[in-house]
This record gives sequence, C-alpha cells and structure tokens, in this order.
Amino acid sequence: MNFFNSGLFWFIEGIFACLVVIGLKIWMEDRGIPMPFWKWLLFGLWVLFFGFTIAFIGTNIGENEAAAAVKGGILFGLISVILGVGLWRLLLIRPKTK
Amino acid sequence: MKSLKLNIGKKLDRRQFLKASGLASAALGSAGLGFFGYEAGKDPESYSGWENFEGANQTFNRKRKSVDQPTYEKVGSATRPDARTEVIFQRRSLFMRQWKDESGLEGMDDYLQEYYRNKPEDLELDLYSMKELMPKLMADSRKYRDKFLLANAWSNAMGAVSPRPINEPPEKSDFPSQRRFGGPTEPAKMKSPELTSKLIKKVAHALGSTLVGIAKLNPDWVYLYPMRGRGFEPNEPIEVPKHWQYAIAVGTPMSWDPMYANPNYGTSNDAYSRSRIIAFRLASFIKQLGYAARPHTPGTSYDLMVPPILVDAGLGEQGRPSIVITPELGNNFRPAIITTNLPLKPDKPIDFGVQRFCKTCKICAENCPSGAISFGDKVEVRGYLRYQVDTAKCLNFWNSTLGSMGCRLCVAVCPYTRKANWLHKAALKVSVNDPTGIADWALTGLQKRFYPGPDPQKYYMPSLGGENASYRKPPWWLRAEDFIES
Repeated sequence: MNFFNSGLFWFIEGIFACLVVIGLKIWMEDRGIPMPFWKWLLFGLWVLFFGFTIAFIGTNIGENEAAAAVKGGILFGLISVILGVGLWRLLLIRPKTK
Repeated sequence: MKSLKLNIGKKLDRRQFLKASGLASAALGSAGLGFFGYEAGKDPESYSGWENFEGANQTFNRKRKSVDQPTYEKVGSATRPDARTEVIFQRRSLFMRQWKDESGLEGMDDYLQEYYRNKPEDLELDLYSMKELMPKLMADSRKYRDKFLLANAWSNAMGAVSPRPINEPPEKSDFPSQRRFGGPTEPAKMKSPELTSKLIKKVAHALGSTLVGIAKLNPDWVYLYPMRGRGFEPNEPIEVPKHWQYAIAVGTPMSWDPMYANPNYGTSNDAYSRSRIIAFRLASFIKQLGYAARPHTPGTSYDLMVPPILVDAGLGEQGRPSIVITPELGNNFRPAIITTNLPLKPDKPIDFGVQRFCKTCKICAENCPSGAISFGDKVEVRGYLRYQVDTAKCLNFWNSTLGSMGCRLCVAVCPYTRKANWLHKAALKVSVNDPTGIADWALTGLQKRFYPGPDPQKYYMPSLGGENASYRKPPWWLRAEDFIES
C-alpha cells in the first residue's frame, strides 16, 4: 500500500475538491454570475471526466502501455477540452437584465 | 520589498485567498489523480496473482449473475470424448510413436486409423509437425538458445516439483487408506452439504487457490478412454466411477509479467504447478475425512474435460478460445479438478456476458498466429454447441516458437485478462451490467486501438519467417541478454 492508494490520499483529494468548489463559488459571486444546481451538476460531471482522463493516462503509463496512454490521452483529453470550453461558456451565462 | 509585501497583503484578502486556493487545488488534485493512476497501473497487487491468499482475489459477486442453466447449449445426444484422439497431446504422442513411413496409417492402432481417415487434415498437420516443424525447431533452438535461457529456466523451475502420478484405478487410489494416510477409513458424519462446501472452499483458498467452485459431476465430461489406472486401450469404454459425484474446481493465475510477454517468455508451468499441488493437497484433506477424492491436474493428468466443469461450478464461461473466462482473472489461469463423493452443495453457473462478448470481439482469433481460433459461430461438438479450436494448428504453433512451452497469446490479448486495477475493474463492471451490448462494442473497439500487439506472423521463429516477437516486452528478470554473456 502506497500513499496514492491510501485513504489519506483520497481525504486530501476531497479537501482539494472542496477548495475548488469554494474558489469557483467566490469567483462567480465576484462577477455576479449565478450558479444554479444544473451548472454545478455539469461542472461535477466534467470534473469526473477530466479526472478519469488524467487517471487513465497515469494508469496506462504505470502498466507500461505507452500507446494506450498517448492514444487515450489524446482522445479523452480532446473531449475534455471541447466539453470544458463549452461548459465554461455555459457557466459564464448571466441572467438577462432589462 | 516593503511595498511588495503590502501588495501581497492587499491582494490576498480572504476571498482572493480562497480563489487562489481553489485554483491551486485543481492543479494539485489533477496531479494527484495522475500519480494515483500511475501507482494503480504498476501496483503488484493488481497482478491478479495467487499471492493474495485465502480467497481475497475471488471478488466477483457470483450470486448476482448466477443462472439455473450453464451458458453452453446442449443440442444433440452427448457422447463422451476419446482423449486418445481428441486430446491433441495424447494423439500427437501416439502418432510420433506409431507412425512409420513404410506402413503409414496401416501400421497404427485401429482407433487412430479411424480418426485420421475421418480427419485427414489432422494427419496432414501431425505429419507436418513431425517431418518439417520439429527439425526446424531443433535448429532454431540451438541458434537462439541463449536468448530464452532465463525464460526456459523459469519454466522448468516452476515445473520441477510434481506429486507422484496416479497409476491405480479409481476404486483403489481415490479412497483413503488407514495405512497410507493414517486417517479414518469410515467417512466422517458431516453436518450438512452447505457447511461442507463452505469448509472445502475455505481450505482450497487457504491452500493457495485463487478461485474455487463446486459442481455436480456431469458424466458427459468424463473421457470414454483412457483413465489413469485402467489402462490406455481397454476393450470397452470406461464407466464413470460411481463415487465421482461432485467436482471441485480450483485455479491459480499464471504470473502476470511473463504471461504478458507470451508466447516466448510466458509459461503455464507456474500455474500448473500451483494448481496441481493444491489439488493433491485438497484430495488428501478430503481423504482424511474418510471420503474418496481424485485430483485431475495439469498438464495432462486428467480423466475428464475441465472447461465445462468450470462452467458448471460457476467459475466462468467458455469463450471463443475454448478455454474458460472468469470475471476475476479472465482466462489467465490454470485449473485442476478434484472428483469426490464428499456430499457438497454445488454452485450455480454464472452468466456475466461472455457469450455475447465473444460473439463480436474476436480479438483472440485476430491475434492467433496459427489460425486455430475460429472467427465463425459455434458448432456442435459431441452434442454441445461451442467454439471450435483447431488444436493441431495450435500445438504446431507452440512448436513454432522458441520460448518456454506453448503460446497463450489468446490469454494475453483477451480483454477480460486485465490487471485488477480501477480502470479494468470499471470496464468489467460496465460490460457485465450493460444489457444492450453497446458497452461491449465500445470496449472492444478501444481495446483493439489502444492495446494492439505485433503482427501475428512476427511471433514465429526466424526459420518460419518470424522475429521471435512477444506480445509485450519481457520482464527485466527474464531478459537473458542483460545477465548472460553471449
């Protein structure tokens, strides 16, 4: 059992996740952009997919499957970037003011 | 310096600080996931190995996928196999001993003559092996011996310990003997078959078995000829001993890194040896309880067909390469069977989607250099539908490589044979629980594109036009060139 397979690692990851959420919330508040639940949901799903992409690359490097790491990294990375850009534009939508 | 401090102090108010922390956490968290993945990928605990004792690796929840009928299909009247001709190792061995150029088929035993008359293509393949393949294998082996010295040494080391072969008939060798075992000759009164099954599984796991399951023995799986202790060529078909009522199936995986470097660096001997010893020990345990037990063990000390028994015992399903695929180990394992009259509660077969998966996947067939694995549908074999494997072609490929005994590429490339880390466990979970088949289609596509192997023709030895290739690089401790001067 090493650190990255331990409960402590996931505890620290959880703290990071909380800080990301708090940071994003404040950033949005400062700009007057509302964050309804669906935006948080989409953001959470994107984070999961992005996290999967990073872990996929790492796992395949660990397995000595460099080709899978590169191909998977390009495929899932590209999807992450496209979805991320789309999501960012959605997150920045402000309510229309008269 | 002072103004810088003041600026920082001014910028980093509470809200600014939290925003910066969020950004830093995103970066650190992402990096952490990358390291997590890396460690998960190289973690030896994900090697699906027998080293995790006492059942820790039999993780699949079989109850959720248990079915009343096994996933093979009976379509005609069943006949028991004649292992002398249908088991390639036995037939090839008989052929080598009996074939004489001057007399041809006429000089062979009647049952062999009949077999070859019905299957002339097998005669051609057996002749090719004897006359062309073996001389080339000998020549190439001499030439490239040093390259595979460590792989062969490892294989031989794993096969070096073997229990005494069984040469007595079942009614004698299977039963406990006061003199030989010192235990009771009267069977112990077991409280219930359920409890006994639980006990036997625990003992099998404690003996080092990664997988264990129990089936009621179907007589269709017992060889018509021969049987250890009953002679090789009896006049009449051999009756199934009455005390062979249950079959306990045990299995251990082949070591991961050599297996992944098949065909030239892997060996079956490691799992053969472990499963063999476990089976003999478990048989001894049962005999000590006063019941009959006979181990049927790899490589060739069987009196029955093993794969359908593994299916009956709920360990897995028979796939396209004809061997059994399990949820935990894929087909990277070698089994042994213990037949017994110890009253047990059989397990139910399982259906975790292998039939559907193998119908479309065909990665094993695409990567099989000899073409032994069929691309087609199942065919009727002795009354049951199954994928047909051309065992003569398969064995001829074994003798077309210079590594240690055999090929096992169908094991290495199978999408079910993957390390037990989060990635492949998740893929298995998705595949098993998707009733539409879309996940299977997607996973097979990713497997073919992400994890390709060399051109299958490169696996052959050089005199047959190959390059002595292996599916993946051999582990450092089997690379002879790094340790031995040429």
